[in-house]
Amino acid sequence: MSNQEEQLKLQAYLDGELSESESREVENRLAREPDAAALLAELRQTGEALAGFEEGIQLPESREFYWSKIQRQISAPEPLREATPSPAPLIQRLRRLFVPLAGLALVTVAVLVSIPSAPQENIGVETSLADSGAMVYHDYSAGATFVWLSYPADKEAVDNDEMDPFE
Amino acid sequence: MVRAAQQGDMAAFEELVARHRDKIYARAYSMMRNEEEAIDLSQEAWVKGWQRLSQFQGDSSFGTWMTRIVINLCLDQLRKQKRHRTESMEELNEESGGVERQMPAVIINPAAGIERAELRQRIDRALGQLSYEHRTVLVLHEFEELEYKQIAKVMECSIGTVMSRLFYARRKMAVLLTDLKKEDLR
Repeated sequence: MSNQEEQLKLQAYLDGELSESESREVENRLAREPDAAALLAELRQTGEALAGFEEGIQLPESREFYWSKIQRQISAPEPLREATPSPAPLIQRLRRLFVPLAGLALVTVAVLVSIPSAPQENIGVETSLADSGAMVYHDYSAGATFVWLSYPADKEAVDNDEMDPFE
Repeated sequence: MVRAAQQGDMAAFEELVARHRDKIYARAYSMMRNEEEAIDLSQEAWVKGWQRLSQFQGDSSFGTWMTRIVINLCLDQLRKQKRHRTESMEELNEESGGVERQMPAVIINPAAGIERAELRQRIDRALGQLSYEHRTVLVLHEFEELEYKQIAKVMECSIGTVMSRLFYARRKMAVLLTDLKKEDLR
């Protein structure tokens, strides 16, 4: 009995995987062919020999020792995800770019304003752009203009602190 | 006991581990053929079991549920190992049945001549001589009592492949258990 298809059908018969009509067909063959009957007997005996094999296998560790490792893993805190911040959203990246550009623009405007009007008043003037954190100070008597830029802008720094670093 | 564990009772879970640990380890050992790996994977299965306890609905027994977890872990591990080694000609031959398909039937009588302990040792050795695909199909069918289509699903292959692997595995086991060598049968 070397036809593979027939052999596999015989095995399927043993395993109860055939329909009724297919089973009858196999039974007829078994009655006619001693080779088929012998193969069926071998397949069945192999299954019988394997039965109960796992029941004899015992864990080679004591209850306490085996459990201790499981318990350790169960009790361990969830592994923290690496604290690599996710890329900032586009709007934030644009804001970061805006801050130095806005500062530069303020400086330019301040210089342009201060040069022709220097002798007009002898007082200091402060202007600030709250969102960018930039501040301009004019001292006409001294003929000086100071610009402070904070980077990142104070407000932006607060926004970033509110972000979850593990998200 | 399971309900208590589901409510977070660690002592109840420890008792479940104690009750089922041999069975879970035995399944891992049958599949992996390595004591250390079987211990590690069975412990990993218990950790996963604890983490997923809320998903256990009681459709099957707790032992069966745990067994499925350890089987999946073993399969993942075996697939990883398989990727690290090349397939030998013998393994390729095994897929289609090889020499064993042509051999005359042999007679195995577990009750005759040898003690149960010796038979267990022979089975142990014989399982170790099968490729992981053939051993897994045999374990899932003979020990886990899964149907062909269930095995095909678990092993991500066709039912035809399951049938031919199972046939080969059984025939090879028969030969190994009767101490017959291929040369004697030619």
